[in-house]
Amino acid sequence: MTVLSTCKSVTLAAVLLASTAAFASAKDVTISVWSGGSGPNDNYRVDAIEIAAGLLEHEAAVRGEELNITVQKTPYSGWEEFKQALTLAAEAKKAPNIVATGHEDIGPWAQAGLIVPVEDYIDLDSWPISDIYPNLMEISSFNGAVYGIPQDAESRPFFFWKPHMKAIGYSDADIEALPAKVESGEYSLKNVLEDAKKMQDAGLVQAGYGFYPRTNNGPDYWQFYTSFGGVMEEEGKLVFDKAAMARTYQYFVDLVAAGVTKKNHIGMPGDQWWAEVASGKAGIWHGGTWHYARLVNQEGLKDFFGNVQFTLIPAGEGGKANTLTHPLTYLLMAGHDEETTQIAADLVKIASEPRINALHAIKSAHLGISEAETKVDLYAADRWASEATARLLPHANAMPNNADFGKYWTIMWKNFEASWTGAKTVDAAVNDAEAELKSTLGDAIIIR
Amino acid sequence: MRTSRTLGLVMIAPAAIMILLFYLMPVILTGVFSMTNMSTATGISGGAFQVTQGAVNRLRTEMPEIADAISEPRFVIDEAGIAAVEAAGLASAIAAELRTEHLGEVHASRREAERMIKALKERPSTRQTKQISDFFNRSVINTRFESREALMEGLKKLGVTLTPEQQEAMARATYTGWVWTTDNFRVIGNSPDMAQVFVNTAFYVAVTLLLFNVGYALFLAVTTHYMPATTASIFRAIWLLPRITPVVIYVLMWKWLTWDSGFISMFMGQFGHPPKNYLLDSAYNAWFFVILINGFIGASMGMLVFSSAIKAIPEAQFHASEVDGASRWQQIRYIILPQLRWPILFVTCYQTLSLLASFNEILLSTRGGPGRATEVWSLAAYHTALQNYTGNLEYGLGAAMALVLVVIGVILSLIYLRVFRYDTLISKPLIED
Repeated sequence: MTVLSTCKSVTLAAVLLASTAAFASAKDVTISVWSGGSGPNDNYRVDAIEIAAGLLEHEAAVRGEELNITVQKTPYSGWEEFKQALTLAAEAKKAPNIVATGHEDIGPWAQAGLIVPVEDYIDLDSWPISDIYPNLMEISSFNGAVYGIPQDAESRPFFFWKPHMKAIGYSDADIEALPAKVESGEYSLKNVLEDAKKMQDAGLVQAGYGFYPRTNNGPDYWQFYTSFGGVMEEEGKLVFDKAAMARTYQYFVDLVAAGVTKKNHIGMPGDQWWAEVASGKAGIWHGGTWHYARLVNQEGLKDFFGNVQFTLIPAGEGGKANTLTHPLTYLLMAGHDEETTQIAADLVKIASEPRINALHAIKSAHLGISEAETKVDLYAADRWASEATARLLPHANAMPNNADFGKYWTIMWKNFEASWTGAKTVDAAVNDAEAELKSTLGDAIIIR
Repeated sequence: MRTSRTLGLVMIAPAAIMILLFYLMPVILTGVFSMTNMSTATGISGGAFQVTQGAVNRLRTEMPEIADAISEPRFVIDEAGIAAVEAAGLASAIAAELRTEHLGEVHASRREAERMIKALKERPSTRQTKQISDFFNRSVINTRFESREALMEGLKKLGVTLTPEQQEAMARATYTGWVWTTDNFRVIGNSPDMAQVFVNTAFYVAVTLLLFNVGYALFLAVTTHYMPATTASIFRAIWLLPRITPVVIYVLMWKWLTWDSGFISMFMGQFGHPPKNYLLDSAYNAWFFVILINGFIGASMGMLVFSSAIKAIPEAQFHASEVDGASRWQQIRYIILPQLRWPILFVTCYQTLSLLASFNEILLSTRGGPGRATEVWSLAAYHTALQNYTGNLEYGLGAAMALVLVVIGVILSLIYLRVFRYDTLISKPLIED
């Protein structure tokens, strides 16, 4: 080895050493975040974490530390695939750090130890957590511990296509007054069926398009159970109200019998449904506040307010008008080291700040999670967010956080679908549901 | 002799290991899973012990006093806790202030205790606050214990002493993981839905098998046998297309055909029929298409097997029969069919098992709908154990359903072997005796 090359090697070694010394204090962290049910308007469910990471890096820099956070984002558009992937990943100890999912997953996932309570990492009295609506925090809790931080709120309205309503005799004033009439119970699900029939008879919409419900299983269908006087949970115990469930099932059988809803509606292609409700092919339908974003952004319904009226879910026999809020929550997954989970928790906390959360709320037409958020310009200037918040949110209830609720839901839906399509009579469906609930849940459910 | 035997074992070892790993283990594991109540909520890898409100409610009937004693959270600022704070290496001012200002305080919730801790002059970080509050926790409610011993230790510290029977009941009520049970089979036996799915499966397998996988395959094989060679190959190639097309694309083409805006709707629209979803219009429609979709794929295999079996029949037999004046039908009846017994047995047996276990075409086309009308056993097992909207994956019940399928498959195979007299098929020809 010549002197020159020795010199080169020494210099190189010195440079290498110096560089490691300079970055010795740097900390590189990778945080993975998954979200379920995230369509093209819901990108801020995962993007908010990335924005938060930028802020946290700045905070660290101010303290004189170097923190590099890489956020790996995995949004899933559906629910089935997402829950399957997440559950199996978690069982295989490959869970992401943060997950945005429906609050009803907290029960089973907490029991299985897949998630850790967020309150172990976040001071709930600190801002912005202290500002979040208390009922949303309640929905994110299980067994007395706060497991999640609400990521959004929403509620699920009924929609009426205004031109068709006018064509069957409603005046502008009538349509304006509809939300109040629904709220008071004056306009009920019975009227929905009648008006849908009128629209079809008048040739405004095709047969089966008068009332055009959701095309697959979803929390929405619990609203009808509530409309007919059903209760999902009482004092920590699930409740199956046979009479209310029978009335719910019967309503959809009646809709089919009247020809205003298709017998084979469930399972139809989703894209087709969206295009149809956006273009006045359907008379009355129901959905969520976020439908506004899709109808306006993707489906080309420019004049939403000129064409669509929205109300609570009308009351049925024995119940009252209602809506359901199904907040997604940020959850911290178990199986990571404390320090990384702490950073994940800090990111969730920052992402919950009004300005960042408002990006999601407005882009996806969900509702805000705190009072302060409604005062962010972006939010306050949005007609949909403010009207929907005022009209719907005060009447919203939620599905229970109960480890057994998924079982109840699966059984309830299976029989709902069977009676709707005529595979079973309503009585048989309710009795089958009762029998299966008894055998699978036993004492964990009250049957009345 | 011994070496060759050892050599034989060595030679077969890789295959034997593969069979063990990929054939036997899944069945054994399915059997093990089926005897548990494993689900999303219980987890797979085992559980912990957590005194939840639900667990307390369950214990109320058996041991009301103990249930009451452990039902409330309680955070006591005592000397033991302060000593622990000191030992944890936190700022000494924290322990000092706790001792002078807060000794003896009792807080009824974790949050209340932590608010007090956060108000200390030397304010600890969030994680330290959690750590400190843990030192003063004098309750077990909502605490997650990783083992039974830890739970009993925790209870002992609270002054709750339990008899062995009570310990057993306590462990049972607070355990979050899965337990051994035969309930899955009871649920399968008692559920009217399961019975319906069972009937669906029997219908689907029998009809697809008879009409297509064996019936139509036989028809294709025999008709192509009487065609000129080139025409026959073209026909066979066409019937292979469904088999070689990727299943997702193949089913998508069927969907295009049957959707509201699909080909059939457009065609029928010419005659004034409003568009409708022909695939999901009614249970009959769904079955019609499900059987066609599967049958078109399934027919090709039988066709190939039967064709080559017919090819193997010495041509002289056909010539001789023609000399005797036999019609085509008589040739089929007396020459072809008798010599196809073994291939028919094979195809029937193989296709029964594959139809029983396959569900991908149904999943992709109807998803078991409308209203679970086309939900077959294997699809129901998949939905139960691995994929449903609520995310409530019941691994135990799903495995039990899969096990039922295994048992049915074995039983059917035995019946087929009996019916087709497998023993005579494989017995040595008499002439060589």
